[in-house]
Amino acid sequence: MTALPLDGIRVADFSWFGAGPIAGQTLCTFGAEVIRIESEAKLDSLRVAHPFAMNPDGTFKSGYNVSGYFNNFNAGKLSMQLNLNTEKGQQLAYRLIEKSDIFLTNFTPRALEKWNLRYDDLLRANPSIIAAYAPMQGLEGPHRDFLGFGAVLTPVTGISEMSGFPNQPPFGVGTNYPDYVINPGHTVIAILAALRYRNRTGKGQLIELAQVESVVNTLGTAVAGYLANGDNATRNGNRSPIAAPHGAFRCADDPESSGSTDRWIAIACQTDAHWQAMCHAIGDPVAATDARYAAFEARKANEDSLDALVAAWVAGRRAEDVMALLQSRGVPAGVVQNAQDILDRDPHMRARGYYEYLDHQETGRAAYDGPVARLSATPAHHRAPAPLLGEHTMDVCERIIGLTADEIADLLAEGVLL
Amino acid sequence: MAVPALEGIRVIEFTDELGSYCGRLLADLGAEVIKVEPPGGGLERHTPPYFHGDRTPDNAIGFWVHNTSKKSVVLDLEDAAGRTLARQLALTADIVIEDCPVGWLAARGLGYEELRAEKPSLVYTSVTGFGQAGPHAGYAYSDIVGQAMGGVMTLAGDPADPPNIIYGNQANVSASVDAAQGTLLALLHAEKTGAGQHVDVSAQESLSMSQETAMQTWDLQKRNRVRSGGRGMIPVPLPGAGTYPTADGYAVLFVIAPAGADFPTLVDWLRDKGMAEDLDDEPYASICADLNMAMLTRVVGDPASAGPFLGHLSHIHDVLVRFMRTLTAREAYEEGQRRRLLVGIVSKPRDLAENAQLRARDWFTHFDVGAERVEFPGPPYRLSESPVTIGRPPRLGEHTGELLASLRRREVAS
Repeated sequence: MTALPLDGIRVADFSWFGAGPIAGQTLCTFGAEVIRIESEAKLDSLRVAHPFAMNPDGTFKSGYNVSGYFNNFNAGKLSMQLNLNTEKGQQLAYRLIEKSDIFLTNFTPRALEKWNLRYDDLLRANPSIIAAYAPMQGLEGPHRDFLGFGAVLTPVTGISEMSGFPNQPPFGVGTNYPDYVINPGHTVIAILAALRYRNRTGKGQLIELAQVESVVNTLGTAVAGYLANGDNATRNGNRSPIAAPHGAFRCADDPESSGSTDRWIAIACQTDAHWQAMCHAIGDPVAATDARYAAFEARKANEDSLDALVAAWVAGRRAEDVMALLQSRGVPAGVVQNAQDILDRDPHMRARGYYEYLDHQETGRAAYDGPVARLSATPAHHRAPAPLLGEHTMDVCERIIGLTADEIADLLAEGVLL
Repeated sequence: MAVPALEGIRVIEFTDELGSYCGRLLADLGAEVIKVEPPGGGLERHTPPYFHGDRTPDNAIGFWVHNTSKKSVVLDLEDAAGRTLARQLALTADIVIEDCPVGWLAARGLGYEELRAEKPSLVYTSVTGFGQAGPHAGYAYSDIVGQAMGGVMTLAGDPADPPNIIYGNQANVSASVDAAQGTLLALLHAEKTGAGQHVDVSAQESLSMSQETAMQTWDLQKRNRVRSGGRGMIPVPLPGAGTYPTADGYAVLFVIAPAGADFPTLVDWLRDKGMAEDLDDEPYASICADLNMAMLTRVVGDPASAGPFLGHLSHIHDVLVRFMRTLTAREAYEEGQRRRLLVGIVSKPRDLAENAQLRARDWFTHFDVGAERVEFPGPPYRLSESPVTIGRPPRLGEHTGELLASLRRREVAS
């Protein structure tokens, strides 16, 4: 077995929903042992959220272990069921934290205080702990206890205001976008930096990632531009200040694209050369010399008629054909792909084997997002599918915390372990 | 004096839009990040908006956002002398980050294999649209192409419109965030074992996780999620789950979430303002009591189950619309959250600049541009022992002289 960068690192993962668990999963994939603390009494709702695996008769499977939403964020972890609302449950949590390198959570400070999981308390139990807190608003401040999930985070951080067409309300981007890469990714970056610091100094530390801050940090020029120039910008559809044409254009419908038959090609002509190449590829050399479009400034000035010209060119063509044609001339172009495309029809994704298919005892074989970063000397893969709820309670209690069978039996009877 | 986490690490980057933010994250964490720029600067230096509208490479605000705390050296890689200097510089680094087309740097003697032959401990991170290998590895890329091919665009927008991009070059940002993770993992490994490696990040793959449940929905149920305007994965319009106009903008309600106060608490708020209309009467009172995560899960699994009361849902929605229009967006956010309801303001840039929480937490930072002090968005995280510091982005070629002189000194010394 290949050595992995985080071999020997143990993570006590007290997180839930998206941003926290995905961060834990990345650490797990790259070698850490990640113990996800869960409780049926305060269930991670993703365990009971769609999409569920299906039975052969077309009905949905049920229970806590069949959600593709949950499973995709928790591959390879150990799941321990622990009731943190009991004093003994909190004591056990600390026995785990004492033996961990990293503590991870995205609960609100309010919940963590109820469970006595403040940083100061962690530090007393484990002076070298790296404690990553990633609540929506941070650990302090007037909005500290504001509630937030991705559905609220997307508008609050400005993504909704800045995305989409100006004639539509700012309804967001169809997903809880910041939960999946930005926030978990930033969390992992901070943890890895803290690990390096600990390797050099022996010191742990507190990481505070306020999700709002983490997202606004990535918000392009919207906030920086307001602060510098006072420009209160808003959404501008698919257009770009440095490319024209720049947008998605409708191609021929594809009846095999299930439930999503409208097909679109995204095109970005960032240079005049891209535009010239596109005109020739599409078979309209006259447009290449048309003064309304030859230079970038002219294309921006005539963008409505430019877009109409491109739309007419691609209408009726297969999106894949337009992509291949434009790419053969070096023009940035890509099909607006759906999940069916990406999983089953995109030859590139298949060749790279990004998705990892794992056998799970309740869902059966299912696809998981693989690790994105491919490290040539220490390549990582999921080592196991997502755990069943509480699947590893015994293992963690015996092997890591060091409880005897009798102690475990008592704690189960008392409802501390579930 | 506190020591930053990446103190003593030198990074040489050959990046523009795709990989710049990766380098910035490392620079703010304390690495010495040297950006090798082409004469005149890359795309980010030529992208509006500009500070005070002054269209010069040093004033591009988008460049600032992805290039804080770095140094800048201008080298012409189309020229043999420039390539030699770039190679010497790269060999002084612990980490190289690049986002050039696949093979472009290798053709100039600056690829991973060329450099590692002389420096086996080197971490070399390549951030590209489609990764280093595979049938589309050579495809031309820009952010919108990444968002299209990565599966997020098909989920965003109204069905009557073309699919939408997510603002902020999020394909580039996602790839950079994944690249920074991969780079730091490889750095930890290199510092433990002395062995460097090549880190390959594809923007298309970076966005995959942001499909939310679309990938799993196809895998498990053979259904494609489609764009649905404001409804996300909810197949029917549910009151209290969506974007509502306010007196001066918009706010979002997500009262059906598994946390926070429930729908009847929202009705309490309307009643307090004398705007509950007939929501306390049947059948509305019972439906309001039932609007929760369980109902949401039911209608996601079986949209037809909402059929019998769709008309009532639409009436409840209309009452909410009338109520929300009486509030400002900031009032809706503050008062709704005070009542423990999941309410969010649709922040405009000014709302974020004036956000009470960000201000109270002293999140914004600043640096000097010429004689002017510019306020600037703060860091994504705070580390209690090893500080994250946002330094001024470099002027084009600001450090060329200094860095070439130090290369000469090195050469003389050896």
